This record gives sequence, C-alpha cells and structure tokens, in this order.
Amino acid sequence: MRIDVDNLSFGYDYRTVLKNVSFSIESGDFLVIVGQNGSGKSTLVKCLLGINKVPDSKIFLNGIEINDFSNWIQIGYVPQKFDDFNYEFPITVNEILNVTKLTKADEDEKLEIMDNLGILTLQNENINTLSGGQMQRVFIARALMNHPTLLILDEPTVGVDQDNTDRFYRVVNDLNDQGVTIMLISHDLNSSKANFSHAMWLDNGEATLKNISEVALGGEE
Amino acid sequence: MGIEPLIMASSFIRALIEREFMQLALITGVFIGFLAPLIGAFVVIKRLSLIADTLSHFSLAGLAIGMYFINILSLPIGDPLYIGMVFGIIGALLIEVLRGYYRNYKEISMPIVISIGTALSALFISLSGGFNSSVYNYLFGSILTVGRNFVIIISLVTLVILALVIIFYKQIVIVSFDEAYARLLGISVRKFQIVTTIILGIVVSLAIETVGVLLVGSLMIIPVATAMKVGRSFKSTLALAIIFSEASVLLGLWFSYIFSIPSGATIVLFNIAIMVSVVILKKFFFNRSLKEKQS
Repeated sequence: MRIDVDNLSFGYDYRTVLKNVSFSIESGDFLVIVGQNGSGKSTLVKCLLGINKVPDSKIFLNGIEINDFSNWIQIGYVPQKFDDFNYEFPITVNEILNVTKLTKADEDEKLEIMDNLGILTLQNENINTLSGGQMQRVFIARALMNHPTLLILDEPTVGVDQDNTDRFYRVVNDLNDQGVTIMLISHDLNSSKANFSHAMWLDNGEATLKNISEVALGGEE
Repeated sequence: MGIEPLIMASSFIRALIEREFMQLALITGVFIGFLAPLIGAFVVIKRLSLIADTLSHFSLAGLAIGMYFINILSLPIGDPLYIGMVFGIIGALLIEVLRGYYRNYKEISMPIVISIGTALSALFISLSGGFNSSVYNYLFGSILTVGRNFVIIISLVTLVILALVIIFYKQIVIVSFDEAYARLLGISVRKFQIVTTIILGIVVSLAIETVGVLLVGSLMIIPVATAMKVGRSFKSTLALAIIFSEASVLLGLWFSYIFSIPSGATIVLFNIAIMVSVVILKKFFFNRSLKEKQS
C-alpha cells in the first residue's frame, strides 16, 4: 500500500503533536519510524488508522484521500504494548482470533497462521497467562488474518525477550519480502533487526525521512 | 435444627406455586439476573463500571417525574417506569455526547449526568409529595411488588437483547475489547457504542424494580467481578457471571421472603457473599496447587 502524507499537523486541544509532517512510501517499502517518547509516533499511527480525524488532503492511502478511504481491512495493526486491548479480562487466544466471518482468512488459514507463528498450542490459553512474546505473536496473527497490504507495528518488541524479538523480525522481514508494506514504530533503530528500506525520525513532532542508503552513509541521527 | 432449612425451603416453594406475586417476582428476578451480568460484562471490559450507577440515578429522575405526572398532574401515563426507561435512554445518550465533547476527560460525563439525575430526582420527589413508599421502593428495589405488565416488558426486552447479543456477538466482543481493530474490520464503532449504551439504559431502568437505584450497579458488576477471577475464556466468564447472578437472585428472593427483609439488599449481599467465597476458595486452591507443584 502506498502512503502519502502531505504537510500534516495534528494536536490534542491546544497542544500540537505533529508539525508539518510530509513523507511518501511506495507499496512494498519497509519504513521504520524512530523517536523518543512523546515525539508523536503513536499519534501519527492513529492518524494513519483514521482514529485521529485529520483535515482533507493531508493523508492519501493508495492514492485515496483518507477521509474517503473505506478499505481499512487492508491494514493490519499491532498496537503498542496492546494498550488498546483489555487483556486483563479473561479471553482465550482462539476467542481473539475467532472472528473469521469478519476477516478474509478462513478457519484453516487461521490455524496455518498460528502454526507459522508458533502459537498453535496456545489456542485455549487465557490471554493474560501468556508471556509478552507470545501475546505479541497472537496480535500479529490477528493482524495477518486480513491479508494486509500494510502492516503497522507500534513498538512491538518492548518487553519481549531477545529470542522472541529475533523471531519477530524474521516474520516481519519475510512478510515484507512477500510484498507487504511495513511501518514499524521503534524508539531505537540500532536494536531493530528490521530489513528496512526507509527510516524516519520524529523529533518533537517534526519528521525527517531517509532511505536505507542515506541512513548507511549518515548513521542514525 | 436440621429440618428448619427444609421447612423454610418448602414454605418458599409453596409460596412460589400458590402466590402470583411470588411467581412474578421469580420471573423478573431470573430475567434481570440474566440480563444484568450479560450487559455488565461488556461494561466492565470497557472499564465503565460506574456507568450503571450513573444511569440508575438519571432513571430515578424519570421515575420521579413520572410520579409527578401521575400524582400531581393526573396524567394517564400508567406507570412511572415508562418515563424512567425514557430517561435511562436519554441519560445513556447524554453520556455518549459528553464523552465525545470531553474526549480527553471522558470520565467527567459520569458525575455531570449523576448530578443532573440527582437534582431532578430531589426536585420532582419533593413536588410529588415528598418521600413515600414508592420512592423507597425505587431506591432499594421492590421485586415482590412487580405487576404483570412489568413481567411482559422485561420478557420482551430480554428476548430482544439476547437476540441482538447472539446476532452481533463477535462484533460486540471486538468493539468491547479493541476499538481500533474493530474499526479496521469496518465495524461502525460509534453506532455500536450508542446502541449498547441505549440497551444499558433500558436494562438499568428495569433493574431498578429489582434492587433499586442505589444497588443496580452492584447487580451488573459484582457477578462479573467474581467470574473474572475464575473464568478462563470470555464465554466461560460470561456463563459463570450469569450463574452467580441467578444464584444470588434466587437465594435473595428466598431469604427476603422467609425473613421478611428487603429483597434488593438481600440479593446484593448474596452477590457479595458469593464473591468473597470465590476469592477465598480460589486463593486456597491456587496456593495449594502451587505448593503441590513446588514440592
């Protein structure tokens, strides 16, 4: 999925979080967005997901103005530390993923996705008994159920051990190789093992985009 | 001493068979015992546990205005309950509007709506002739005095809500647990929120007849809070919450009849007794199984 952001500013009440952010990525690109806490990373994600309402002609998804965009099912989203998900209330992995009538994946494919991510044996486990790494793979599985052409991952490896982090990046890199556009939010580019094509630094709401060759030449900002 | 409970049980069962008011109370209790935790579960997931108390206070305003219409203006509206239900729905919509208006301080909507409800209640209770037995029943419940009309209404409401939950089960679960994901699946989150809040308003106003304004929240929340501690899946938690709720309704009805004590308070106290028992039993068995694993 191609993404174009044109001079986007966004704030809550009187506080401006994003200031004139502009960037474009092509379908199949792998963009890592780097920034400190409060730099506007998650706000940008919420704008791209249509959760934060933005003025017309600021964001285009596949060339379609975001306020006219309706094919949201194309976007897979793994939220930051699952903050948006109430995982303290009892619910099993299967119940989270068992929305196949609403997604593109059928039951067989759901099991295949779970198997590929190594969570097939966790089907009947209560979500709040899982480790951070297992929980993260459940939410990646959920995001993949829609056959996304864009996968947005918000700080996905925070609190996850090294083995599971390595496994996570192998899965994401494979998906990108298959043509899925990836947008990964991170606070540290150096610790990321992503095969990214572009990196964007958000600092106090202002964005700087570089492709992989510029990052290699100039190093991380 | 050994046969006393049996005598008490047989006298309760005889009353259920012979007396219509007991039959109506039982049907009402069973329906409310089912509806309250069913809706309450989704309220708890959304971390909106105080919304039931907020709506019950707003519904009380409707009941008080209904009493004023009937007692003072002699308007033929039949039962203040109808105005109470309308106010339950208005209160629910008002909360949604205020939550949208104060996006970063959504919880502000609750005290605002409670304040309006309490102020209007106090005003119209006073205008209707002051504190009387009807007001007491609205505050603390009066399941033993429900009429046939109420049972018909609650039966229909239960059927409609059950059908809606079965048809839209997956959507409701997704919207409750994760709004952002629901949006990506093309679910109209806003419409779902409005509809579920309206349903909540109706259930709260009906539950007032059972346990009263001051105890409605506990009927919706405590069985769910108990079930959360032992439920493994979402469905099993829902089922356990309904079982705990029905048990407390039946025990509460029985004890309130036998000992001539207020039914609403008795039902809620049984709810709390079940919660404490489950917490203690869980702690005991969990610690024991942990020790067995360690040894």
